[in-house]
Amino acid sequence: MIELVANAFIEPLRQTFFQKALIGGSIAAVVCSVVGCLVILRRMAFLGDALSHAMIAGVAGGYLFMKVLFDIEAHAPAMLVGSLIATVITVTSIGFVSRVSRLKDDTAIGIMYTGVFAAGVVLVSIFRNYIHIDLMHFIMGDVLGVADHDLWAAGLAASVVLSTIILFFRQFQLTSFDPVMAAAIGMPVVAIEYALTTCVSLVVVSAVSMVGVILVVGLLITPAATAYLLSDRLDRMMALSAVFGVSSVVGGLYLCMWLDSSGGGAIMLFCTFQFLVVLVIAPRYGLLARWLRLRRMVPQQLIEDILGAVVRGEGAPLPLDKVAAFVQGEARGLGRVVGAMERDGLLHSTPEGLTLTPAGVREAGRVLRAHRLWETYLQHVGMPPNELHKKAHALEHVHDEESVEYLDDLLGRPRLDPHDALIPDDYAAFAPDSVRSISMLRKGARAVIESMDPQATSVGLAVGDEITIGPASDDDTGWNVTRSDGAEFSLDHRAADAIRVRFKSYKDDA
Amino acid sequence: MAAERVNHPAIDVENLTVSFGSKPALLDVSITIEAGLAVGVIGPNGAGKSTLIKAILGFVKPDFGKVRILGIPADQARGLVAYVPQRGAVDWDYPITVEEVAMMGRYGHIPWWKDPGLEDKEQVQNALKMVRMSEFRHRQIGRLSGGQQQRVFMARALAQGADVLLLDEPFAGVDAATERAILDVLDRAKRAGRTLVVVHHDLATAAEYFDFLILIKQRLFAYGRPELVLNPELLSEVYEGRLRVFADLSGARASR
Ligand SMILES: Nc1ncnc2c1ncn2[C@@H]1O[C@H](COP(=O)(O)OP(=O)(O)O)[C@@H](O)[C@H]1O
Ligand SMILES: [Mg+2]
Repeated sequence: MIELVANAFIEPLRQTFFQKALIGGSIAAVVCSVVGCLVILRRMAFLGDALSHAMIAGVAGGYLFMKVLFDIEAHAPAMLVGSLIATVITVTSIGFVSRVSRLKDDTAIGIMYTGVFAAGVVLVSIFRNYIHIDLMHFIMGDVLGVADHDLWAAGLAASVVLSTIILFFRQFQLTSFDPVMAAAIGMPVVAIEYALTTCVSLVVVSAVSMVGVILVVGLLITPAATAYLLSDRLDRMMALSAVFGVSSVVGGLYLCMWLDSSGGGAIMLFCTFQFLVVLVIAPRYGLLARWLRLRRMVPQQLIEDILGAVVRGEGAPLPLDKVAAFVQGEARGLGRVVGAMERDGLLHSTPEGLTLTPAGVREAGRVLRAHRLWETYLQHVGMPPNELHKKAHALEHVHDEESVEYLDDLLGRPRLDPHDALIPDDYAAFAPDSVRSISMLRKGARAVIESMDPQATSVGLAVGDEITIGPASDDDTGWNVTRSDGAEFSLDHRAADAIRVRFKSYKDDA
Repeated sequence: MAAERVNHPAIDVENLTVSFGSKPALLDVSITIEAGLAVGVIGPNGAGKSTLIKAILGFVKPDFGKVRILGIPADQARGLVAYVPQRGAVDWDYPITVEEVAMMGRYGHIPWWKDPGLEDKEQVQNALKMVRMSEFRHRQIGRLSGGQQQRVFMARALAQGADVLLLDEPFAGVDAATERAILDVLDRAKRAGRTLVVVHHDLATAAEYFDFLILIKQRLFAYGRPELVLNPELLSEVYEGRLRVFADLSGARASR
């Protein structure tokens, strides 16, 4: 048994064609994967596809050129140069079309590469009596038929490309991450762009003979994408990507021997399989990790409902079953959520029930404020009273500062909601030293008067006075203010609007 | 060199016109910013604020006009200007760590055949310390809060050691505490004699934060002391009567 398995691995290694396929494939895979990292970060994947298709015209052109002028069949260097020329023409014309027309890049790429590809196909078929190129060879690739000159070409391309990328790593990194800064410190951004495109052309040309036109873009981007899911640094991403590229070639070649399948197909199949596995299990950016995170994540809505329930108990501990009744229907995982809120310092859990910490009170005040303002607003726009609470309960989760401020402004800064409950002020949003009107402060706020409009001077307060906001007047329409020397003043809404103070703190959290 | 620069304004923009297609983003803008000032750039969305920043950096080519940094034409003033990009302009998923971003500030000083030296590394650590991001230095930049992300790019600008700092909306989407922290860093940079140009969206704080303001919407509407630029008539012309802005502003100003 063991012998059988060992044989399955060792037997192919004895064959020259398999050795060449391994070596050639690995070289091509390493450069493809490394360059591929820059390709996917620059969102140029489509370009790789375009270049590989354009090549066919170049190969045909190179073949024909040597055949007609020198009567040499299938001259490899000429075909290589031809493909490079074809890719350069494609790239330039893509840039040209998207610059001078209103077409976007992706459309320009689609048009130009299919055009050049078609030219190649037509060329090959017209001269089929002269050009002995097997179109299928190009489209599907022939990794098991790698010839020595293919190896040399791949090796040469690899060393040029790899040394360029290693030498100019910082340049490639900065231009792909922040081209504006690259230009500002004097990097030749355009030249670097061309260098990268040339590198892509080189690796594509050297890999096409092995995996074929259709699959080469996969070899360019799939190992890079796999590595992208696992790395937080570009240099590591490149190294990992190269590893994945080589493992695809090795795994794919064995697959192809065992199943007697197409070489290029098996390589890409293995490569895609690797990607899918990593996509699922990658520790940080994988699906599994994402799913776990989502599961661990506590729904904000539930947190706010719990805060709302406890704060309405006016400081008395609220038993867990009451909380469950309040948040009805959403009680799934209540214990877990309470635990998380305790860890976040929002509440204390005691045997008698839940109580809020100062931070919890603040957070709850925010939700309550939003709830009561929404309720007032809904009444204002004419919603029947019996529907107010339910709708407001849903809307209270819209409580970003700006929206709530808007409601507050619109409604004339009310103090009471339709059920005559006090609307908490937005002290959650108050920073010490922010300047507000007195009308925006609630009981217990301490502040220093900054300025006042003329209509408020009759009240008797002066700029620089230190005040504490006292309990509201009996009918809840005005503000009572105590000065630091003990003197008391009562202000109506207009006066409270007209006096601006620098907020200091709330008595209870000073 | 330094002595020569003293006599030049930090940034000198002369009749600058930049267009994308037929509509100019900037039209005939001329501003002279003296060294050592903190200048705020205000204007509505699409006013060309970012474009002005990119023109000063020498990234967009003007259709007409000149930009000089300390007397040197912008496209030759390599590395004299550091820049903190607008949040939306950064690929936060890019595989790069905090430390590596800060190191980019040194790229202009490292010859291409060399690796970053000891001094570069030291500068980077200092810059990270200054913005209090040292403990996050191995973190990928996408896994930071909005304020921390801003500070990473501040560190990059500081590590660059440039005389002129351009910041594109550094306060957008950060909380009050982070805004303070960023202001602190700006303050220190200013006291070290650097010139700051900051795109700012909050008119209410503009007067407090900056020595001078630039009010721009395609054309330059005003450049001068905040109390002159924050003139209700001028603002309503530029912002086309978006009232909330003014309500906030008059409140904040009356309080001063
Ligand atoms: N690269 C670009 N290509 C085309 N139009 C652009 C480009 N950059 C900016 N614009 C246009 O120039 C104008 C000014 O943009 P911008 O400077 O980003 O404004 P701001 O930063 O003040 O919001 C806008 O109308 C915008 O659409
Ligand atoms: Mg902008």
